[in-house]
Amino acid sequence: MAFSSMAFLFAFLPLCLLCYFLIPTRFRGGRNFVLLVFSLVFYAWGGLRLLPVLLASCVLNWGAALLAAPGRKHRKIIFPAALILDIGMLGYFKYTGFLLNNLQALGVDVTVPSIALPAGISFFTFQAVAYLTDVYRGTVPPERRPGRVVLFMAFFPQLLQGPILRWDDFGPALTDRRETSAGAAEGATRFCFGLAKKVLLADALGQIADGAFAAGDRLTVGLAWLGAIAYTLQLYFDFSGYTDMAIGLGRVFGFRLPENFDYPYIAKSASEFWRRWHRTLSFWFRDYVYIPLGGNRCSRGRQVFNLLVVWMLTGLWHGSAWNFVLWGLYYALLLMGEKFLWGRALERLPVALRHVYALVLITVGWVLFRSASLSQVGEMVSAMFGFAPGGVWSGEAVYYLKQFRWELLIAIPAALPVKNWLRDRLAARREQGSHTAAAALALGPKVLACGLLGWSCVRLLSSTFRSFLYFQF
Amino acid sequence: MQKFTNRAFLALLLAALLAIPAGVARWSHKETTAYYENRTLAERPALTLSSLWDGSFGIAFESWYSDHIPGRTALLKADTRVQMDILDRPVVNDVVMEAGDVLVPFQEYAEQTDAEYAEAAVPIADGFGQLNAHIGANGGVFRYVGFPEQRFYFADRYPDYLDSHETESAAADAIFAQALADRGVSFLDMGAVYEAQGNPAEYYSTVDHHYNYYGAYAAYRAILDDLNAAGFDLPVLTEADIDFVELPNPYIGTRNRKLYNLWPNDEKAVIGVQREPVTFTRTDNGQPSSRALFVYPQEAYMPTTYSLYMGGDFAETVLETNRPELPDALIFGDSFTNALETLLYASFDETHILDLRHYTEKSLKDYISEYRPDIVLCIQNDTFYYTATGNSAVWED
Repeated sequence: MAFSSMAFLFAFLPLCLLCYFLIPTRFRGGRNFVLLVFSLVFYAWGGLRLLPVLLASCVLNWGAALLAAPGRKHRKIIFPAALILDIGMLGYFKYTGFLLNNLQALGVDVTVPSIALPAGISFFTFQAVAYLTDVYRGTVPPERRPGRVVLFMAFFPQLLQGPILRWDDFGPALTDRRETSAGAAEGATRFCFGLAKKVLLADALGQIADGAFAAGDRLTVGLAWLGAIAYTLQLYFDFSGYTDMAIGLGRVFGFRLPENFDYPYIAKSASEFWRRWHRTLSFWFRDYVYIPLGGNRCSRGRQVFNLLVVWMLTGLWHGSAWNFVLWGLYYALLLMGEKFLWGRALERLPVALRHVYALVLITVGWVLFRSASLSQVGEMVSAMFGFAPGGVWSGEAVYYLKQFRWELLIAIPAALPVKNWLRDRLAARREQGSHTAAAALALGPKVLACGLLGWSCVRLLSSTFRSFLYFQF
Repeated sequence: MQKFTNRAFLALLLAALLAIPAGVARWSHKETTAYYENRTLAERPALTLSSLWDGSFGIAFESWYSDHIPGRTALLKADTRVQMDILDRPVVNDVVMEAGDVLVPFQEYAEQTDAEYAEAAVPIADGFGQLNAHIGANGGVFRYVGFPEQRFYFADRYPDYLDSHETESAAADAIFAQALADRGVSFLDMGAVYEAQGNPAEYYSTVDHHYNYYGAYAAYRAILDDLNAAGFDLPVLTEADIDFVELPNPYIGTRNRKLYNLWPNDEKAVIGVQREPVTFTRTDNGQPSSRALFVYPQEAYMPTTYSLYMGGDFAETVLETNRPELPDALIFGDSFTNALETLLYASFDETHILDLRHYTEKSLKDYISEYRPDIVLCIQNDTFYYTATGNSAVWED
C-alpha cells in the first residue's frame, strides 16, 4: 500500500488511528498489537503471497538473535548461519534473475525463472542484519517477545522505504514512549508536507525525466540537462517525501524515527553528499561492512578495496542491473579521488565552485542510476556534454519548461534549507516580541499542511495510481 | 495557545480523514459514470481469497475508492480551473490551451517513420482490397472516404514548441491512400477536398474532434459528385433544399468536455433542416425506432454534443425512404458517419449503416453478400487509418 493512495489516506489510516487511540495509554501492549496487526495488513495489501517471506525473516532473526546473544553456546555458528540465510533470501529474490540473465548472455544454457520481489525486502533485511549483529556484538539485548521483533521489522510507516532502523531507535520506545498532541501535530504536519513533496513535486518532475530519458533520437543538449536535473529533484522529493511521511507517522504514534536526509543538494563534495543523502543506508554500510572490513585504519590499498566493496554493494542494493553497479563504482572513484587525490585542492576552491562541482557530479550520477541500460547511460551523458543527436535545443524542452515551470521554481528553493532559515528568522522575531511572528510560527505550518493535504488529494484523484520510486529497491 | 492550535489542527485532520470514508459508504452507490471523463466508474471489487493472495483486490479497491470519493467531480473541476487559470499551464488534461481559438489535443513527440507506416498499411489495405473485389462481385461499388481529424485540420494552430505531427500525418495519409490505390480501392480524400475550398475554419469544430455540419455537408456534396460522375444518378440536397440552423444550446465537444466545459467559447451545434423532408422509417439494432435525424436536448439551456446527429453511434441503423428507383447504400465507419448520414440517406432507397466497433451479428462480407448494396462507403478519420480493428477489420469472418 502506498501512502499516496486514497485507500491509505482515507481508509487504512483513519481506521488505524481510531483503533490505536481508543486503547488507553496504559495498555501499551494493546497499542503495539494494533500497530503490529495494521503493519501486517499494510504489507499484505500488495498480496498475501508476500507475507510469508517477511514473517519468515522476522521469525528467523528473532530466534537467531536469542541464540546469538553473548553467553549463548553456539552463537558463533548461529550468527553467521543466520546472516547467510538473510543475505541468501535477499539474493534469491533480488539477484537470481540478474545472475542468470548474465549467465545466459555469456552463452550458458539456463532458464531464468520469474521471481516476484517482495516489496521492501532490501530494507527489512538490512534492519534484520543490523539487529542480529548488534545483539551478537552485545550492544543491544535480544528481544524475547517475537511480536516486538516483528513490529520492529514490519512497522508500516517505514517498512517499504525506510528509514532503516536500528533496534536502539525503536526497541526501547515499544515500552517507553509518549504520544502527545504536540508530537502528533508535528508528525501530522510533516506527513502532509511529505505527501505534497511526493504528489505535487516529484510526480510532476518525473514527467520531465520520463520524457527526456525516452527521447532517443530527439534528445538535445538542453533536454538531456533538463531531464537529468528534473530526475535529480524528483528522486529527492520522492524519497525524502516518503521519509517525511514515515517520520511524521512515527511521531503520531510516539516514535522518533531517524532522519534520512539533510539537504543533500547543498553538499560541496561527493563525500559530503553521502553524509546527507539516505543517511541510514550510508551509516548501515559504514557500521556493518566498511568498518568490519578495516575501514580507514589500514593500508591505502586496503582502504581502496574496502571502498570498492562498499560502493559496489551500495549500487547492487539499489537494483540488480549493471547501471547500478556502475553508479556504485562511480561514487567509489569519486570518494577515493576526494580522499586521496583532489580533496585538498577542492577545499581551497570558492564555495560556489564546490557546489557546482558537487551538483554536476551528483546529477551525472543520477543519470547512471536512472538509465535503463549502459547504452542509455552513454547516450544521456554524451548528450549532456554536447553530443546530442537532436542538436542543442528543441521545442520539447520548451514544453517541459513551460508546463512544469511552477514545479521547477518551487522545487529548487524547497531542496535548500529555506524553511529552516525562515523558521529561525521568525523565531528570532518572536523572541523580540512580535505577535505576527509568533502566530506565523504557531499556525503557518498547520494551515499550509491542511492546504497541501487537500491539494495533494485532488491531484491524486486526477491521476492514476503511482508507486514510489524506492519500492523497486 | 500552542496546545489549542495543535488540538484544533488534529481534530480537523481527523474529521477529514473520517468524513471521506463515511461519504463513500453513504453515496458510493449513487453514481456509476463519470460524464466528463466519458467512462464508467469502477465497481466495488469482490473480496476473494485469490484476489487477496495476488494483490489484485488492493488495486481494484483503490480504483473503486478513488472513483467514489464524495465531491470527486467538483474537486476535479476545481483542479482543472486552477491548472487553466491560475497556473496557466499550456496543456491541461491533455488539451492544448495555447492553440488560439481552438482546442486541440496534446500529442507526444515520438513519431513513426514512413517505412513503419508503409509496413503497417499492408495488411489493412489488403483487407480493403479483398472487400473491394467482394463488393464488385456482388454488383456494387466501393469508396473509402477519408477525413482529416480536427487535430490535423487545425495543425497550424499548434504553438511552435509542440509537435502537431502535421508532416508525419500528411505522409502517413498519403502512404495509406497509395496502399489502397495499389489494390484498386477508390479513396476519396476529404482533406484534399477541403484544401481545394481553402480549408474553411467553419468546417471543423473548435471544441470537438469531429467536423461540424458545414464540413459534413461539403463532404456530402463531394461524395455525391464522385458517385454521379461514376454513372449514378443520385438526387442531391442542394443548399437551396436545406436551411442550416444553429441550435441555441451550449455545445460540449470532446475537447472541452475534458476541460469540464470550462473553456470559454460560444460554439453552437448546426443542423440541416430539409425544406421538403425526405421521409424515412428507421431501425436501430434490428428494432423499429422513432428517433429522428437529430436528437435534441429537452430544454434550450441543456448542452448538446456530437451525439445530436443520429443520436450517436449504433451497431446497425437502417433508414428506408421507400423509393425503389434509387440505389441502396451501405455505410460503415466511425462517428464521422453520423452527421453525413442525415444527408446521405436522402439520396438512396435503403441506407444501411454499420459501426463495426459494435456490430457483431455477422461479418461485413456476409452482410454485403446478403443485402448486395449498390454503393458501399467506408467513412473514417485519419486517426483510424492504421488501426487494424473495428471499422478497418473488414475482411474477418
